[in-house]
Amino acid sequence: MSHPIIEAAAIDKFYQSYQALHGVSLTVAPGEFLALVGPSGCGKTSLLKILAGFEDPTSGDLMIEGKHMVGVPPSQRPTRMVFQKLALFPHKTVAENIGFPLKLAKVAHGEIDRRVREMLSLMHLKESYMNRLPAQLSGGEQQRVALARSMISKPSVLLLDEPLSALDAKLKKSLQAELKRLHRNLGTSFVHVTHDLEEAMMLADRICVMRAGHMLQVGTPEDIYYRPATTFVAGFIGETNLLPVMVAAHGGQGSKKWRFASPSIACADPVVDRTQSAPTVVDGDALMMLRPEMIHLLPEGTPDMPCAMTGIVDEYFVKGASIQYRVSVEGLAAPVILEVPGTLRRPADVGEPVRLGFRRLDAYLLPADPHAGVAA
Amino acid sequence: MDHRTESRIADVILYGSVAAMLVFFYIPILTLVAFSFTDSRFLSFPIEDFSLRWYGALFENRDFLPALGNSALVAAVSTLLSTILGTAAALAWMRFRFRFQRVFQAVTFAPLLFPQLLLGVVMLLWFSVLGNWLDFSPGLVTVILGHGVYIIPFTLVIVAVQIHGFDDTLEDAARDAGATRWQVFREITLPLLWPGIVSAAVFAFLLSWGNFYISYSLSGTARTLPTFVFSGIAVGSSPIYPALATLTFVPALLLVVAADGFRRHAAKRNRMVLHTEEN
Amino acid sequence: MKRLRKSWRDPALILAVAPAGLLMTAFFVVPLVMTALLSFQGTKYYRLVWTWNLDVWSDVFSQAHYWTIMGRTVWMSGLCVALCVILGLPIAYAMATRLKSLENHITILIVFAFLTDAVLKTFGWVLFLDRTGVFNGMLTLVGFPPGATDLLFGPGATMIGMVYNLLPYTIFTIYLSMVRIDRDLILAAYDAGASKTRTFFEVTLPLARPGIYAGAILVFVLSLGVFLEPKVMGGGTSPMAAELIRQSFETRVNWPLGAALTLVVIGIGMVSLGLAALVVRNRLQGQDLQGQGGQV
Repeated sequence: MSHPIIEAAAIDKFYQSYQALHGVSLTVAPGEFLALVGPSGCGKTSLLKILAGFEDPTSGDLMIEGKHMVGVPPSQRPTRMVFQKLALFPHKTVAENIGFPLKLAKVAHGEIDRRVREMLSLMHLKESYMNRLPAQLSGGEQQRVALARSMISKPSVLLLDEPLSALDAKLKKSLQAELKRLHRNLGTSFVHVTHDLEEAMMLADRICVMRAGHMLQVGTPEDIYYRPATTFVAGFIGETNLLPVMVAAHGGQGSKKWRFASPSIACADPVVDRTQSAPTVVDGDALMMLRPEMIHLLPEGTPDMPCAMTGIVDEYFVKGASIQYRVSVEGLAAPVILEVPGTLRRPADVGEPVRLGFRRLDAYLLPADPHAGVAA
Repeated sequence: MDHRTESRIADVILYGSVAAMLVFFYIPILTLVAFSFTDSRFLSFPIEDFSLRWYGALFENRDFLPALGNSALVAAVSTLLSTILGTAAALAWMRFRFRFQRVFQAVTFAPLLFPQLLLGVVMLLWFSVLGNWLDFSPGLVTVILGHGVYIIPFTLVIVAVQIHGFDDTLEDAARDAGATRWQVFREITLPLLWPGIVSAAVFAFLLSWGNFYISYSLSGTARTLPTFVFSGIAVGSSPIYPALATLTFVPALLLVVAADGFRRHAAKRNRMVLHTEEN
Repeated sequence: MKRLRKSWRDPALILAVAPAGLLMTAFFVVPLVMTALLSFQGTKYYRLVWTWNLDVWSDVFSQAHYWTIMGRTVWMSGLCVALCVILGLPIAYAMATRLKSLENHITILIVFAFLTDAVLKTFGWVLFLDRTGVFNGMLTLVGFPPGATDLLFGPGATMIGMVYNLLPYTIFTIYLSMVRIDRDLILAAYDAGASKTRTFFEVTLPLARPGIYAGAILVFVLSLGVFLEPKVMGGGTSPMAAELIRQSFETRVNWPLGAALTLVVIGIGMVSLGLAALVVRNRLQGQDLQGQGGQV
């Protein structure tokens, strides 16, 4: 990895006695698309404001492009922000809005005009909009103007504060594609705050999951989805099954394998590789994570899978491309959720006994203690 | 009582009360305007003949001109003073948190709760004591200071209402775009607060222009229009006063109409943005 | 709106606070203190003498005459408050609910009348109410004998003048609290089966209480100091506190007495403000949430 463009080290942020960030450390590579996700109040917006310079960390250090940034005002930073509510100036025209950063930088009139037109075409906005007020544009067009305003001075980092959260689903999809295209064309680093993990997975190279001021996990979308660090991360996107199991190191001292056991799960060889577990897992209670699409429904006469469970169908939901089943399994408090490909003939009905199977390879072990891995 | 009758009675009461209020508020004003066109030397109703003779008389004797000049001067300076100070104070009220903020809020708001005559009397006492020490007598300067004390709470409240609806992320956006504190203020804050500031200035001008109580207490031997009229009608109701009154209504009316046009123009712009954002 | 914490060393804070703060301190707070000090002095041959004593105060408290006038002032002010609230309610309600499209025009008409020179308006009322004035003239036109009413130069005319000058305060404060009421609350009341009248009394009116109280307090303290109305319209027959104060300054040239009487009026105003604050705090408990919800 080349030299990081953003390096945040051990950042704490207090608002009076309330601690919004707990020792957050983070790096962003040049040209990287990083998503900050988490529920509201998790500190993602505080972190973004610290990156932008609207707030300073209470302690910790921040470097951008190799320069110390604590105490440097937003205007002096190589970052630009896209605001949640866009913050287009209602009294300035589209052209004045987009050209505002250049005007402040005392760029010549002709040059501003040229670059505003350049941004308009990059953002697929008509040049005839230049003299309109923001109020005369549609929601999607306003988004594009806001993006154009933040990109015109060619910042090395673009900070996005949930700019898509207020849009309807269809417009959101098209602007997500737009963002991805922009990012690819410009080579600027993007730091994108969102509470929508699906959006983060679609757009980002790496995702940073936050909760209550702590960074829980930073990783690729695959890491976050298939190898979450905690049960919170596991549950943050989509639905998942967390089955209680007992684990023990397999094969004695220095072994690279876990042996697991559960009265509800029958496995021919209940052993998984250490790479299939969070590093915080220890001997004793643990949770086995299985995504719904990893559990299969086994009709009469099909061969068994390496691991199996039996239960009774509680409820099913036809979702179109798939059918979701909720199956109650003896010994498990919560029903097991699984998804099978949608077909015209439903494989099982409510009240029917069913056999379920999964591959050991798909299982991932998490610590049972929800606070494991989180510094208090 | 059935639903429809109830609605109808409510409508009659509500629309009726608004209509009655408007008539009530304009009774004295329209009475003066009507009498300004009488031909008679007695101000009695019905008016027999209409003429402009009292306007003629007014411009012939010109006694009111110094008072008019004083009123204009006082109103202009007080407007400037109370609009600027009121706007600054409103920013401190709404945007800042600081030690002794409560004290600041109390002293800048309290004059609104004081009857004007008492404000005038209290200030007169102080100016007289000061005048003894520093050897000056009350005059236009003391009137202007008095108007400032009386009017600033009004301008403060009007501008504060405008600040309340202000979206401060716009300022963040400007800072992010590279603006200094002063540039943020000039490019974003001031233009967006401008409608409120203009309303405050109009309010200030009219409050000062039509002020009697404080001018009466603090003007010493100088006369403003209201005190000139007061001493005139105390002596006897000369028919030139309705004409004078009507003349003073004209600039005030023009100002109010112009200011409203401006305010609506600006409000339309800002409201449209909010509107599209919600959609 | 976030508020920025500012230190007194920040020039921006000084710039914003100092001008108005200093003006108010020098010409409002200091004069009040000075008034208090003056009330402990005496006069001799129409000149102020700096001798610290309580003579003026004992005079104020022993003269029944002063307290008759103070009593009348409080009574007239109370009556004025009642009239301004009762008249202001339907007007504010109509403006907040029925006249949305005309609201702006009505506001401007009220503001213009409100800001017009008080002396001129009072003079206009004199011409209107006079025995040979517009009102009686109109009555003659419909068949009444000439001079049918004799309102001018009595307490009735004073009250008309006071209500005229102070009604805009209650209209605006009540209106402001009424437009903030969440429309869904009204609809919920209709939905629950309440009639319009019932809804007004059970939902709208209680929620408009902050505005009613604010307007009532403003009108009360301001009417304690009315001067033009009793003098010009009331004909000086039943003087109120302000006239008493004016006389002590102008006719009797007794400044300490004037200062003491001014303080009495201010004191009445402050005591009533304090009482009102107590009542309001008790009655508005629990409504805070409502108000906050309305603002978001």
